[in-house]
Amino acid sequence: MREYIVEMNHIVKSFGEVRAVRNGEFTLRKGEVHSLIGENGTGKSTMMKLLYGMYPIDSGEIIINGEKIEKLDPKSAIAHGVGMVHQEFMLVNDLTVLENVILGFEPKKGLTIDFEKARKDIQHFIDRYQMDIQLDKKVSQISVGEAQRVEIIKTLMRGVDIIILDEPTAVLTPQETRKLFEILANLKAEGKSLVFISHKLNEVMEISDRISVMRQGQYMGTVDKDKTSPLELTKMMIGREVFLNIDKTYSKVGGKVLEVKDIWVSSLKETSKIRGMSLHVNEGEIVGIAGIDGNGQSELIEAITGLRKVEKGSVILNGQDITNKKPRAIRETGLAHIPENRNTRGLNHTMSIEDNLIAVEIDKEPYTKGIMMNVDASSKYAEEMVKQFDIRPTDYKLPTSALSGGNAQKVVVAREVSMNKKLLIASQPTRGVDIGAIETIRNTLEIAKKKGTGVLLVSAELEEIISLSDRIIVIHEGRITGELAANEANENNLGLLMMGGEDELEKGETES
Amino acid sequence: MNQSLKSFIKILITIVLSLLIGTIFILVTGENPISAYGALLKGALGTKLGLGTTIANFTPLLLTSVAFVVAAKVGAFNVGVEGEVILGGLAAAYIGINWVFLPAPLLLLACFAGAMAVAAAWAFIPAFLKAYYNVSEVCVTILMNSVALYIGSYLVSGPMSAGTAVPQSDPVQVTIPKIMNPSSANAGLFIAILIVVAVIFMLYKTKWGYKIRTVGTNPAHAEYAGIGSKRVFINAMLLSGMLGGIAGCIEVLGVHGFYLDGFAKDLGTNGMLAALIVKSNIVATPFMAFFIAVLKSGALAMQQASGVPKSVVDIITAIFIVIATMEFVIELKKKHKKGE
Amino acid sequence: MGLFENLDKIFNVSLIYATFRASTPIIYAALCAALTQQANILNIGTEGIMLVGAFTAVAVSYITGSWFFGIIAAMMGGALIAMIMAVGHIKYNSDICAIGMGINMLAIALTKFLLSVMFGTTGSFANPDIIPIPRIHFAFLENVPVLNDLLNDWCFTEWFVILFVIILQFLFYKTVWGLRLRAVGQFPMAAQTTGIHVNAVKYQAMLISGLVGGLAGAHLSLGYSTQFVENMTNNRGFMGVAAMYFGGANPVLTSVGCLLFGFSDSVGARLQAYGLPAQFVLMMPYVVTVVILAISMIIKLRAEKKRESSLITNEARG
Repeated sequence: MREYIVEMNHIVKSFGEVRAVRNGEFTLRKGEVHSLIGENGTGKSTMMKLLYGMYPIDSGEIIINGEKIEKLDPKSAIAHGVGMVHQEFMLVNDLTVLENVILGFEPKKGLTIDFEKARKDIQHFIDRYQMDIQLDKKVSQISVGEAQRVEIIKTLMRGVDIIILDEPTAVLTPQETRKLFEILANLKAEGKSLVFISHKLNEVMEISDRISVMRQGQYMGTVDKDKTSPLELTKMMIGREVFLNIDKTYSKVGGKVLEVKDIWVSSLKETSKIRGMSLHVNEGEIVGIAGIDGNGQSELIEAITGLRKVEKGSVILNGQDITNKKPRAIRETGLAHIPENRNTRGLNHTMSIEDNLIAVEIDKEPYTKGIMMNVDASSKYAEEMVKQFDIRPTDYKLPTSALSGGNAQKVVVAREVSMNKKLLIASQPTRGVDIGAIETIRNTLEIAKKKGTGVLLVSAELEEIISLSDRIIVIHEGRITGELAANEANENNLGLLMMGGEDELEKGETES
Repeated sequence: MNQSLKSFIKILITIVLSLLIGTIFILVTGENPISAYGALLKGALGTKLGLGTTIANFTPLLLTSVAFVVAAKVGAFNVGVEGEVILGGLAAAYIGINWVFLPAPLLLLACFAGAMAVAAAWAFIPAFLKAYYNVSEVCVTILMNSVALYIGSYLVSGPMSAGTAVPQSDPVQVTIPKIMNPSSANAGLFIAILIVVAVIFMLYKTKWGYKIRTVGTNPAHAEYAGIGSKRVFINAMLLSGMLGGIAGCIEVLGVHGFYLDGFAKDLGTNGMLAALIVKSNIVATPFMAFFIAVLKSGALAMQQASGVPKSVVDIITAIFIVIATMEFVIELKKKHKKGE
Repeated sequence: MGLFENLDKIFNVSLIYATFRASTPIIYAALCAALTQQANILNIGTEGIMLVGAFTAVAVSYITGSWFFGIIAAMMGGALIAMIMAVGHIKYNSDICAIGMGINMLAIALTKFLLSVMFGTTGSFANPDIIPIPRIHFAFLENVPVLNDLLNDWCFTEWFVILFVIILQFLFYKTVWGLRLRAVGQFPMAAQTTGIHVNAVKYQAMLISGLVGGLAGAHLSLGYSTQFVENMTNNRGFMGVAAMYFGGANPVLTSVGCLLFGFSDSVGARLQAYGLPAQFVLMMPYVVTVVILAISMIIKLRAEKKRESSLITNEARG
């Protein structure tokens, strides 16, 4: 028998100008759990999507069960025994769970779908792995954890032996994570081979047999779990010994800049609805909001910035009530905002760097005189910003679509920070940007704080929250579950609060 | 530069391709395509009357095509320009007939102002429904075109009727002078050119233009940046409507001298066509509008001289737009490269 | 005056059939639009597909003397036009509105051209040799008072549309293809990851939509009337699209929307006899369509808002 059931050699994959994978290597043994780790945007997901045939590879080779696969699409990948549970669930919201599970592999009875047979088949897996799922609910009505179990059932129904799980724990509570790990252990015991994509080292150390590391699209090496340590893995992931460190200065904290009083905010998702949240930000401090993605962070920020309606409660900025005011009026009152998504919110990619830099001040002198735009003034300003924030390429007449993620984000940061507003909201400011840009952006936030700006920071990266914030507020399902001073916070206590607060904390402690 | 050269070549290829397909249709009728196209060109540009007719056709198309472009820049697909032309024409006719207490220059201004106001009000309906309730502006404007047509038809066969067999209004008391007798080309051409130049300037040199363009390409970003995207959307649609209204006013005061039922037929549609073919590139649009005006005014001459039905020209323009919407030229080049 | 004294003449039993008769062409058009809408393609070209179908049906029925061949040919013609649009939109990235409008113009020009080339006429073409779709006569109903007026002598395609709505309802919600179609329309990535060829499903939807649109045209020119008139669809395709919005692309609900248009149309026609200007009657279905379109979107947005509100707790919380 061959040593590996999957071999991926010298994989290269680009999307347009961006090289997602430069030199990817991956092997999988039968019956093992192999983790693929690395920071955000290092090509882990891309590697596995290539194995699942979501996109064609540019060059390299993929060998499954000894057979070199020339043309791979999801259908043939499934036929070769590869299944994938995507980070963003591939479930159709308006269809029922049952319909989603059988999609693409529907049992037929005459002209119709044989729902009874499907139900029986699925029940078989439900019983075997003790996964409780409600087959007749629509996907939009089930919880995240349940949706994930549906995804796993989906792959099992197709009879695959290799299951790829892309950051499966990113959206789970601790109980759900534990439940998932039990299921994964069962699957492994039955001889299934698992690929576990993550950037959480403790989970990886708990579940893996072998661990491969990627950094900036490159394969950095594979180690046995038993022969490595989190420290070594960190080094492989980051390329240096420690996390980025900002020398945090505890400057004198001033008066309240922002006060949020018991606000209720709508959302598409039940768990993201904000139901009674109060917090404040003082001058000259950074307040970090920690939480698992989709627990109301985006809704909170949009409510403060006037992009989403506050259904109850009030928001006070600089002593003025700005509840449900227009975004423009709120900005005038003293708000700068680095949005969580630079592509849809932060930038207009069809416009130039220069035009993007003046986007929020288009009505003001010197960029507009009367009704005429003043190109001389905006060009001068753009030139300054490009220099100050080291934006590359330096030609500010280029559209921002020509920029890398890090440089595009610098354009947003440059625009928002240079206005010197009283409050700066930074939502996922370093998401999907390279290490160099991360450093620039974090330093910029620190400098803003020293100047007396109140900063509200939202980040999915705990490490970022801990290293930058003076105070940390933890939220879960649209409610605040705890607040900690930066020096009392660590990944453990924050993590537990992120999973639902004190009740969970107690439970967690008694169980461990 | 490279980009605009590319799109220019693409338009050229599209023209050639549609003319070729048109050739097939002409061959089907058993006529000689070269003499048919020759008759078309001669009819449109070769005689004083022909050239005048072409210019008369071009004037409203210039305005309606730019009206479509302005809406497109803010992200709206405004099929309703035709209805706006009709109502603009109606308003101009009503004022031109009834407000005789005004001296002529003021009356002329009042006609334009009235046309713009009524047409803008008409455009407000789909704009508002789209901005606030996400109702498809395509459907609403198409349906509203019919409503506008019937409103006009009702008024000139009822309350505003001149009592003639053909439904039309009394003559207006102020007209725009003709410039190439005996054709209906009139000084409205210069008004149209001035207005279009002003619109282009507005779109690319002023903050209003910036807002329209940014809302049209990324409304979520515009909202975030504090630019009220709903308001900008509606304003741009109002401007689009005004341009349509001006076209209607020029047709009524400059071409007919009264409101003639059905005068706006295809004016909006052909303007939209011109804009769609060049993907709403506002600088290229006037040229395309002229090209279509040539085809339109030459079509009748072609039909008379060669027996090829003038609907062939409509087929050519329709094929034009179908091909122009596709991103095929670049595709072909890619394949070519792979072949090498 | 006369209007109120004669209300019973306006709202009587025959209004039911008049409404249904006026609605049928729109129902077919709306189903044409619903098919592609399920795959998330807004079929602006419904109007053009229908017009080509109407012409083809008349031409083939005239030439072959068979209404059946007329229908088949109309469906083929519709499918051909739809496929041009499908290739443009799916393969070459055409904006669906732009190419749809292009197709509509092409249909008008092409039918005009063919009318003059094939039949040497402009405006309209009527001829005793055009064989219409037969009407179904039930002899046993002749002496039943109300039912005879209500159900007798329906055109074949009028009966068929009822069956067809049910067939499509079944197709969308009970069959494998329908499930895949809806998945492709709502979340193409999800469909792709289960091995479904998304574009193939879209092409199939466009193809079937073209067949249905062709049938819509055939019914219009061989069932609803027996002639071809330039631009005879007269925006019925767009009304169908509006009704499709109203019904959320669900065949049964969509048809209900069409019946509303048919109703306003037939009531308007009756009101004309009592002094309502013709233009207002002609305008009525369009105004009603815009109003219904707006109301259905407002209701939809309200419902979404309510679902998203934080002040209301949803039972289904997992």
